[in-house]
Amino acid sequence: MLRMVPGDEPVWLAQLRRGSVEHCVLALLSKEERYGFELARTLSDDSRLVASEGTIYPLLARLRRNGLVETTWRESAQGPPRRYYRLTEAGGVALAAFVGHWRAFRDAVDRILEEAQPS
Amino acid sequence: MNTRSDADRIVERYLDDLDRALAGLPASRRREICDEISVHISEARARLDGGDEAAVRALLERVGNPEEIAAEAGARAVSGPGGWADALVPWLVLLGGFFFLIGWLAGVGLLWSSATWRLRDKLLGTLVVPGGLALPVLLLGLPTAVGTCNASGRPGVPTVTHCTTSGLVIPPWVGIAVVVMLLAAPIAVAVHLERARRRP
Repeated sequence: MLRMVPGDEPVWLAQLRRGSVEHCVLALLSKEERYGFELARTLSDDSRLVASEGTIYPLLARLRRNGLVETTWRESAQGPPRRYYRLTEAGGVALAAFVGHWRAFRDAVDRILEEAQPS
Repeated sequence: MNTRSDADRIVERYLDDLDRALAGLPASRRREICDEISVHISEARARLDGGDEAAVRALLERVGNPEEIAAEAGARAVSGPGGWADALVPWLVLLGGFFFLIGWLAGVGLLWSSATWRLRDKLLGTLVVPGGLALPVLLLGLPTAVGTCNASGRPGVPTVTHCTTSGLVIPPWVGIAVVVMLLAAPIAVAVHLERARRRP
C-alpha cells in the first residue's frame, strides 16, 4: 500500500494556495491551450502551487463546470488522446478580476509586514 | 517481464483506491477525474526511462494521495473510514440475523447507503448469505430427515433392524458440505467487507 502523507504544512499556507491556484491555472491558459499533464507538471515542478499533481484534475473539472475553461480532445503523437484546456471569455474576465484583487491584497500585506519589522 | 506487470498492478491498485476515494461524487465527475488521472499516469510513465516498480511508486507519490485528490474534488465521504456505521456493517451482516433478522436487515441497509463499498461488495454482502450465520444455524436445527428404527431382537436370534425414513432425504455428507459452505461463505464475505473498509 502506498503511504502518502501530505507534507506538514501550516493550514494557512494550504488555504492561501487553494485560493490562488485556480487563477494561476487560468493565467497559464491565457497565453495558450495546454493539456492536463503539462499543467500538472508546471504547477508542481516550478511553483509548488499544488500539493500533488493529481489535485489539478478536480480543480480543472471545477473550472470547466463553472464555464471558465473549455476542453477539446486532440490526438497525441505518443500515447492516448489528450484533453486540451482553453480559457473561455468568462475565464478571462475572472482572471482579470483576480489580478486586480491580488495586487491590492499583496500590496496591503507587504505594507503591513514592512511596517511591523523595519529593516 | 515480471517487473513490468508488477508496476501495472501497482497502478491498477492506485486507480482502484482513487475510484473508491471518489465514491461520494456523482458518477460522471468520478469517471472524469479517474480517466484524467489514468491518462496522466500513462503520460508520466511514457516519460520514465525504466518502468520498474520503484519508479512507478515514486511517480504515483507525485500524483498524490487519493484521499487528498478526493478532498480537492469535494468528495466528503458520507461516513468515511472510521465511521461507526461502516464499522458495524460487517458484524451486522454476519451476526445480525440472530436478532430476529432485523439486525441483518439493518446491516444491509447501512451497507447500501455507505459510499465505502462498491457495488460488487454490496451485492456480495447481501447475497452471500441472506441472514448471515443465522441461516446455516437455523438449518442445523431443522431435521432434514426423520428416521425411525425399530429393532426387534430376541435372545439367540440375530437382531433385525427396520428403519424407515420420512421427510427430505439428503445424504449426510451433502448436508454437512452445504452447512459448512453456508458457515464459511458469510464469514469470508464479512472479512472481505472489513478489509475493503480499512483500505484507505
